[in-house]
Amino acid sequence: MEDILVKLGYCVEFGKVDKNAPYPPDMKGQDGADELTKQAIEQGISAAVILEDALVAAMNRVGQKFTEKKIFIPQMLMSAKAMNAAVAHLKPFFNSGEITRKGKFIIATVKGDLHDIGKNLVKMAIEGAGWEVIDLGVDVPTEKVLETIQANPDAKIGLSALLTTTMGNMQVTVESIKSKYPSNAIIIGGAPVNEEFKTKIGADFYAPDPQSAVSYLNR
Amino acid sequence: MTGKERVLKTIQLEQTDRTPWVPFVGCHGATLLGLTATDYLKSANHIVNGISKAIELYNPDGIPVIFDLQLEAEALGCELTWADNNPPAVTDHVLTNGKTLSDLIIPDKNSGRIPIAIEATKKIRELHPDIALYGLITGPFTLTLHLLGTDIFMKMMEAPDEVIEIMEFTNEVAKTMATYYIEAGCDIIAVVDPMTSQIDPTMFEQFVTPSAIDLFSFIREKKALSSFFVCGHAEQNIEVMCKCKPDNISIDENISLTYVKDIALKHNISFGGNLKLTVVMLMGTEEDNQINALECIDLGGNKGFILAPGCDLPMNTPIENIQAITTIVSDSYQQKVLRAKEKSETSIELLNMKDYGSTGKVIVDIITLDSESCAPCQYMVEAVKHIAPHFDGLVEWREHAIKKMEAVSFMNSLMVKNIPTICIDGKIAFVSQIPPKQKLIDTIQSRLNEKLKNIILSKNAELTIITQDETSGNELKSNIETAMKETGKHYKININTTEKLASKYGVYEFPAVILTEHKIKSQGETPKVEIIKEWLKDL
Repeated sequence: MEDILVKLGYCVEFGKVDKNAPYPPDMKGQDGADELTKQAIEQGISAAVILEDALVAAMNRVGQKFTEKKIFIPQMLMSAKAMNAAVAHLKPFFNSGEITRKGKFIIATVKGDLHDIGKNLVKMAIEGAGWEVIDLGVDVPTEKVLETIQANPDAKIGLSALLTTTMGNMQVTVESIKSKYPSNAIIIGGAPVNEEFKTKIGADFYAPDPQSAVSYLNR
Repeated sequence: MTGKERVLKTIQLEQTDRTPWVPFVGCHGATLLGLTATDYLKSANHIVNGISKAIELYNPDGIPVIFDLQLEAEALGCELTWADNNPPAVTDHVLTNGKTLSDLIIPDKNSGRIPIAIEATKKIRELHPDIALYGLITGPFTLTLHLLGTDIFMKMMEAPDEVIEIMEFTNEVAKTMATYYIEAGCDIIAVVDPMTSQIDPTMFEQFVTPSAIDLFSFIREKKALSSFFVCGHAEQNIEVMCKCKPDNISIDENISLTYVKDIALKHNISFGGNLKLTVVMLMGTEEDNQINALECIDLGGNKGFILAPGCDLPMNTPIENIQAITTIVSDSYQQKVLRAKEKSETSIELLNMKDYGSTGKVIVDIITLDSESCAPCQYMVEAVKHIAPHFDGLVEWREHAIKKMEAVSFMNSLMVKNIPTICIDGKIAFVSQIPPKQKLIDTIQSRLNEKLKNIILSKNAELTIITQDETSGNELKSNIETAMKETGKHYKININTTEKLASKYGVYEFPAVILTEHKIKSQGETPKVEIIKEWLKDL
């Protein structure tokens, strides 16, 4: 049983999605995250064990390597893809309540900003870490974020801005959230954003990369 | 030496008279004309006017014609979403929407906004022959990302050959654009490839290096110089970027300048950067900008370094902030002053200046860089030195050269910001300009008069004897008069026998003496609450 979990973790860590996937080249023709998860369930391993011991543990290693600049976006995305292939088999167990997500995370690129690459990367990392992510997309007005918090009162929030000119909109959104929902943690990120700006606008955390957002949520 | 010569020589690692300054004015040009980014980027005339205005305001050595990394993508059929305050964004990636590589053709001179770019370049070249002109082209990797969207990252792993094929195409687009810009008059082709910061050196060498080597050698054959721009945390790729053999590399504030300098110079490549775009240029003060620029100049050194922001200037960067950088770049004296100030500004203890200047003499302090090496400082010191003897010992002067730590601390305590400055009795009197002799004398004289008046007025005290019988009152009065005679002082003496006064002062045994002193604490000004609080503490 442990053997298959180790293999599954390895597939997620190195981005082996399924048997037919060409990447990584040295694993050609071998079972990937897709097949191994299915086999693990058939062997009677509990969904919780598969999720925690294999998948989440592997994504933690991926996050760590990303932070240390040992791997970059392409490798991280391949891991996320493998992770998603595995999680697809766990859907019924989420639905039945046998396993649960760590919590909900609302993510959006702020109003006026159409850039989604950074937001998507953070989304994948946080999903990979076992959170349910509600993705509001790009150019998201404050009201939309507020409505979503109202419907998901325990959710944490992540806001992204790539442009210096939309940092002002980020400030408006953060201030509106804080005045209505002061206890919901807000993480901000994006090229022009920094620690100083976080303090200025009253957000809770500045994440320079996806992994630090994950670490903050899991703390 | 013209700006153009300065930039071209620096890029080729030759000596110049000072660091060249290249502000990357993109959409900021629209701000200078009061236009939206959309109107600006769609009109050759606006671009020409915007860049001419920037040249007038910022006196740069070099400048880009247009900073818009969406231009090629648009010409290749990607849809753009335009914004008033930003460059447009690519919102539809043409190769993910049913089109294939074979559907795409290399843009000609009439595709998209290319004719605008060519026309603007020609006109700016004609108007500003002495400025180095940068033609900015979208780097092949970033252009490939525009065409493919984020799919590119997974395709690099799953279908590398497909990505390489597209890279070969985008590299041909880059060579074509380089040709258009060079023919229109650009001196330098900047290959702007920010998205390469997202990949590791191995993938960089696999996907980017082959086309980049080809592109830079093509630019060289065309007799133009080249620069490789990257932004973000791209430390890992600086070495492989240099191996692509551009003439110059340019980075942003996320990478340390010394790190880049070491690698670039090792490869005989010049380098540029890395003024802080947001925290300093957009949001900082003029002084923050000068400090940041000077840091870059000092770290960059005098070989092969071009001072520039890390990327396109934010549209609303305050004009004064950019001008502050222009000042510091071209004025080596200002650089010296700032360096001396900066050297010690951290960990300076402020002196308690509350009672400074309250002695009988007038104290004149001259804050200088060093009167031996700085001409304005020297003249200011001489002016004071020359008039001091006229006051016959009543005026004492001293120089505080801020090369010494104590002097910096003194300067900050007096809230002096400029060098040289004359302070009289701890108050700033003359800033930067050397006062004419008579003006200096008058100022010192008026301070002396003020002090004299204070001395006279502070003598205005009185003694009140409160008593119940005149005999004991008179005896006390006579003792006081004797004491006054012996000390040479004369104050008014009152004798009062009313109970009302006794209860006012809380006197219950008699006789009693009340000394009332009248002390002028300020005149001719409205002291701040903080200052008045200090007086009250003394009571």
